[in-house]
Amino acid sequence: MKPYTYFLILLFTVFVCFIASFDKRIEFHKHFGAFIKSAILVAIPYILWDVWFTIHGIWWFNFDYTSGIVIAGLPIEEMLFFICIPFSCVFTYFCFDTFFKLDWLSGFNNIIVFLSIIVCSLIALLHPEKTYTFVTAIATIIILIYLHFIVRATWISQASFVYLILMLGFFPVNGILTGSGLESPIVNYNPDEFLGIRMLTIPVEDAVYGYSQFLWVIYFFKLFQKRESSIG
Amino acid sequence: MINFLIVITVFISMEGATWLIHKYIMHGFLWILHKDHHDHSTDGSLEKNDYFFVIFALPAIALMYFGSLEGFNYVFYIGLAITFYGMAYFFVHDIFIHQRVKLFRNTKSSYFLALRRAHKQHHKHLDKYFGECFGFLYVPKKYFKTKK
Repeated sequence: MKPYTYFLILLFTVFVCFIASFDKRIEFHKHFGAFIKSAILVAIPYILWDVWFTIHGIWWFNFDYTSGIVIAGLPIEEMLFFICIPFSCVFTYFCFDTFFKLDWLSGFNNIIVFLSIIVCSLIALLHPEKTYTFVTAIATIIILIYLHFIVRATWISQASFVYLILMLGFFPVNGILTGSGLESPIVNYNPDEFLGIRMLTIPVEDAVYGYSQFLWVIYFFKLFQKRESSIG
Repeated sequence: MINFLIVITVFISMEGATWLIHKYIMHGFLWILHKDHHDHSTDGSLEKNDYFFVIFALPAIALMYFGSLEGFNYVFYIGLAITFYGMAYFFVHDIFIHQRVKLFRNTKSSYFLALRRAHKQHHKHLDKYFGECFGFLYVPKKYFKTKK
């Protein structure tokens, strides 16, 4: 069982959302095309980022918990992570967007971008030597500036709100990956390369990293969704 | 304690700075960014005027950065105060006055009503010159009306 731990975590993450996608009230399966395109597009830079970090020992994997198939230094499960996790995230966002009127949140975009840029810039300036911290902060600043000032996305606050709710899933999933309830973590972090602040077992950078990834996937998902509906 | 006083003092003096910046910069050479806040010439919910959030974030970041390098000295707290002022500005200006989020619509507080009136007065002037009421949290006395 042990070698399938990581795989099972992913399976549980996706399973319920996948089944619910076919529910008549949700019909998320109609958007699988837009989702898979956006997930793959975002997975490419994030997997390259992951490979680079693994090569440089910023984090590494415990292969006791993985099936043993390794590509470019990453276990296959880690590659699937970039499809499975966004799937549940986009599914959740889609449901909130469909069933609740969250448009009124868009007035908060200014303050979210203002505070995030201040905090991320400060952290990046103060810890340029901590690679994970630095790269994550910069990536988050770039996506927020791009979405707010160039794309003028109105949904930044909505996505941020849904991301807060997604924390309910983030804590158990990322918790196990970082060692909660296991003898040793599946993903290990070089203590010199991150702030060392952990929420339970999860480095605080993981939440920000996930946030930046989530925003990108939603951005492309909306883009492909719009394109599909304009063709169909 | 001294840091707390610094934050309070800077926060209050930001009101003066805002008045100066608003009157002479936003209604001056940066009118190009502030214009659409008066005439709503931009489509969508983001105004060019919102770039000021980033412009004010930069000195706040710089001050907090250099202040924390010096062991979180007074420079850091000045930056912090500017950040707090930015947050206050958002909640009062964006939410309360311009109702970007529909909250606190039916306030009865005479201060907030006066604030709204003063800001309305400022917006009556659609062009760059001859404006009035450039302040933000401070409201001239004449806008406090006695209750009906």
